[in-house]
Amino acid sequence: MTKEKTIQITIDNKTIDARPNQTILQAAREYQIYIPSLCAMEHLSSYGACRLCVVEVDGLRGFPTSCTTPVEEGMVIRTDTAEVKGLRQEVLKLLLSEHPASCLFCTEQDECKQYMGTIRKVGATTGCRYCPNDHRCELQQIAENIGLTETSYPVYYRNFPVEKYDPFYDRDYNLCILCGRCVRVCNNVRLNGTLSFKQRGRVTTIGPAFDRSHIDAGCEFCGACVTACPTGALSVKVSKWYGRPEGQVATTCNYCSAGCRLILQTTKTDVIDALPDYDSAVEHGIICVKGRFGITEYVHSPLRYGTPKEMTPAGYNDISWEEAIAKAAGKLSGLKPDDCLIVVSPQLLTEDLFVAQQFIRQVTGSEEVASSFIFDLDGDAASFINLALASEPFETIEKAQGILAVGFDSTYGYSPIGVKAKQAAQAGASLMSLNSFESNLDLLSKIAFVVNSSRWADVLDLTMSRMSKGKAEKRFADLVEMWGSDLNKTCETFSCSSHNVLIVGPGIIDSPDRGKILRSIERMKNEYSWKVVVAHQYTNLAGMFAMGACPGIKPGEMIKEASADKAVVLKAELIHIDLRKKRKLIYLIGDASFDSLPECEFLIYQNALPPQCSRQPDLILPVSLFTEASGTVISAEGRVLQVKEAVAPYMDSKPDWWILKSIAEKMGKGKMKFNDVSSIQGEIKKIIKGFPAVKKRIEFKEIEVKGNVKTHGKGKPAAWKSSYRGIPLGEVVSGIKVIELKGG
Amino acid sequence: MPEVIEVIFEKYQRKPDQLIPILQNVQREFGYITPESVKHISRYLRISENQIFGVSSFYAQFRFTAPGRHSVKACLGTACHVRGGATLLEMLERELGISCGETTPDRRFDLERVACLGCCALSPVVQIDADIYSRMTVNKLSELLKQYE
Repeated sequence: MTKEKTIQITIDNKTIDARPNQTILQAAREYQIYIPSLCAMEHLSSYGACRLCVVEVDGLRGFPTSCTTPVEEGMVIRTDTAEVKGLRQEVLKLLLSEHPASCLFCTEQDECKQYMGTIRKVGATTGCRYCPNDHRCELQQIAENIGLTETSYPVYYRNFPVEKYDPFYDRDYNLCILCGRCVRVCNNVRLNGTLSFKQRGRVTTIGPAFDRSHIDAGCEFCGACVTACPTGALSVKVSKWYGRPEGQVATTCNYCSAGCRLILQTTKTDVIDALPDYDSAVEHGIICVKGRFGITEYVHSPLRYGTPKEMTPAGYNDISWEEAIAKAAGKLSGLKPDDCLIVVSPQLLTEDLFVAQQFIRQVTGSEEVASSFIFDLDGDAASFINLALASEPFETIEKAQGILAVGFDSTYGYSPIGVKAKQAAQAGASLMSLNSFESNLDLLSKIAFVVNSSRWADVLDLTMSRMSKGKAEKRFADLVEMWGSDLNKTCETFSCSSHNVLIVGPGIIDSPDRGKILRSIERMKNEYSWKVVVAHQYTNLAGMFAMGACPGIKPGEMIKEASADKAVVLKAELIHIDLRKKRKLIYLIGDASFDSLPECEFLIYQNALPPQCSRQPDLILPVSLFTEASGTVISAEGRVLQVKEAVAPYMDSKPDWWILKSIAEKMGKGKMKFNDVSSIQGEIKKIIKGFPAVKKRIEFKEIEVKGNVKTHGKGKPAAWKSSYRGIPLGEVVSGIKVIELKGG
Repeated sequence: MPEVIEVIFEKYQRKPDQLIPILQNVQREFGYITPESVKHISRYLRISENQIFGVSSFYAQFRFTAPGRHSVKACLGTACHVRGGATLLEMLERELGISCGETTPDRRFDLERVACLGCCALSPVVQIDADIYSRMTVNKLSELLKQYE
């Protein structure tokens, strides 16, 4: 590898090496030389709006903005002369002439900070909180750094009403300084195009067309604009007024299989906000509404269970953990393997899944490791799993020439995949989207098929037949009539390209015809060598199969070590879980799929929030959620990602593995001698080398089912809504309910 | 309406840089930029409706409300401004009950302000449709408006 050419420049008498395509600001930031700026952001293109980053450059006229001036060999730059400093102060004064500045220049600021006095005649000591982002404001920071202590201009208050009618975040454009970060991040990074500058001059505002609300204008509520805003103009409804967070923890989102990194901002007891990490290798900061805004309200829901509860004739009674464990152990002992059904959620951490499968096999002696995804997929479980576990990494989409998205929509989820598809389409790839409603990919698609999911398999088959120049069959006649010429053109690019990607979305799981669709997808993959990327809601599905937390599969059996590894043979009767037979005991571990469950005498419910149905569990074991636990998840791409404890467990809740281990110990069964998460990880190390610090993507063997799978046919899965541990997010997070209602 | 728009699109390439010519053509055709036409342009050029609105609201030449039967233009160029153009505009806004760029609910008048009509010697001037009215006063203008139905 040749070393990249460097350019020598001098900033403030210090000689530094810069790269040819850098701006002065970028080079300076790399060497920790401070230049104030409000409009430049690392992942956004140069803009030059705020004029705060002016510097002096020998040989250049005037004061160029360092964020738009590229470095040149031998440049001599000064960032802190008296003239530059004076100029910056003047620029900032002009900026503040349209921004209420009482938070910056108040004679009682110091006293206020210390005593939080108030002018009201009540005992409240709140200080005057006029801006929700006080102490979390870049503008405040910059005013301090520039050393501005007073302003000579009167403040022109624009007097806009505060916009509070959209979910998740409020907008007070009186505080906006028109730096354009939100507009650029919305249009250039998220490729969403909800925000733009409206009108011009001193009446300029930011927002969607025709004064529509954000929700009507196609906003995805990804919150990228809120993160980018350097003032208090945009503020998150649930976390505003908190002030400066006390700590932050980088963890992995547990709401879907993408595995986005989140930076959780915390106070001593609460998670107050979740921010994207633009340096993350998985999603590059492209997170969705669920991760950005769906966490605080879920983990701090007032409905959360804080102590174990036991059903009595007079209602629920709080009991101690000792009693609860003894009760569960008592009910479980002496049961035959067939008498109990244990359901494990695919949204648990890998460590919990490992302990759960040990628990089922060693304590109950059963091989029936049931899970809600098996109920959802019924007879198609094996073919879906084969597809999902062999999902290609998201980068595959970047260089694709042809992309076909089936049942996929990234408006309110799966953002990293959706944005990559949009980027590829903008770069010239042929994008075709196939869905039962208008998806957010439609605008950039060459063709957007909006048809009922019963026809998806037909569209896929037609695409394949067009790619191989076959004659159209009769069953495609109406499709050809509707989209014939466009389809021909698109299929031509598909057949000329050697890099086609098929994005499979969660829409196919809901479809009654998913069996047919899955078979067509398999054909596209095997016969037409399409690369398949699967987006699904079963967060740790890969972890589940790696740990053997599923019927008939031993821990580690599914992990592929050599490419010649054979498929794992599975007997059909193992996948079939009898949902009609009455059981003595049902134990739900992080799952709440009550609609599918058979009748039982005793129901143990191990979760954090009450179920969304009338069925009342006999014993409730409160668990700590992923913000309160440590461990790993294995994402759809096969990456092992760390989950870190951000705050202490809520009240008396315990991690899943601890509860399972304690019950087993009480019963005197099994060999689960775990004291903490790292002891479980030590055990998993025997299956996955180097766990949990695994750099390599984990690859999986295929499953081959012997015999015919009986379908339980007990109810179709309800139209899928985003959920965590079986609880729909919309039931707990108010904003998600609003956007789901709008989605209809 | 969709057919008319389709005909307009045929004249232009499917590239984002064709946005302004398309908007001009749409305004010529319909008199203003309708939300519905923005939707069609968005699909044709593959850019969001919000971005189209951002571009079009920047330029004074585009309007988003239906024009009235008569268009009233008050001049606020330097000469007119000095001789009371602003008072005339204020009176027009009060009399018609609308502000600049809007149309009366009965669609009788729409109101705009212009920077100069090129007859500063006659200031202050007001233009109604194609006619220029010179040396206007509030009283004369009030009488004048009654002549337009």
